[in-house]
Amino acid sequence: MLELPEATRERIHELQELSDKAQDGDQGARQELRRRLAQDAPEVVARCSDSARSYRRLLAKRSSGGSPLVEEAITERARRMALELAGENPTPLEVLLSERVASLWVLVELQEALLAAWYHKASAVSPAFVLQMARLQESSNRRYLGAIKTLAQVQKLQGPSRVQVNIGGNQVNVSR
Amino acid sequence: MAWERRGSNLYYYQSKRVNGRVRKNYVGAGEVAQAIAHSDETIRQSRAAQSERARVELEEARTLASAGEELCEAADILAVAQLVAAGYHRHKGEWRMRRRA
Repeated sequence: MLELPEATRERIHELQELSDKAQDGDQGARQELRRRLAQDAPEVVARCSDSARSYRRLLAKRSSGGSPLVEEAITERARRMALELAGENPTPLEVLLSERVASLWVLVELQEALLAAWYHKASAVSPAFVLQMARLQESSNRRYLGAIKTLAQVQKLQGPSRVQVNIGGNQVNVSR
Repeated sequence: MAWERRGSNLYYYQSKRVNGRVRKNYVGAGEVAQAIAHSDETIRQSRAAQSERARVELEEARTLASAGEELCEAADILAVAQLVAAGYHRHKGEWRMRRRA
């Protein structure tokens, strides 16, 4: 269900190859990368964003323990988080990166809850199990922090310049 | 945990690992031994069930985490491609604007 379509996967692979060549100093590859991004990126990014939302729904369902109300609350909380992170007038890439951060937040919360539940039954499970669970959580946490960092980098370097001003004690973001 | 036959009688023993070696302790025979054996079996089954639940939950947690891996990689590739196309390059882990020649 979460697997990206084959065509999307191929395009991403091609973009990665061009990006690698451009990073090695190939100017032709940079031009081609710009052309391909303008042509392919909107659809590829949209597909990935869909996938991120599906992932979030899957995680929320698992976290809810079968309660539709809890599932809805988690989904809504993550949706709001993604919206807030994306900011005003986000680019499609910023939307995708924000969706990813929100999905990973649900994953980290879920794993934390699972681990906490097993800690309470510590006598019933082996230390090896708790260790494996902790490692899994650590890896997800790293991915979550990495996703936040990437979003911040893209917003700082690529997004529309935003200026924060204080008007009557309220902080307002203004796009330039 | 095991029953051992000596002549016509059955005797119940408990096994424990002590300093890496299995040590057999005599418990007894008759109805009291049967009650203890029953209790041991119940504890063993309960532990096995709990351990199986833990294994299933760990497996499920792994599956859920790995389900998003492809998506995460794709998002990273798209973010890097976008920055590279905009003229940035990575210098010691930091993104910088490439100087124009």
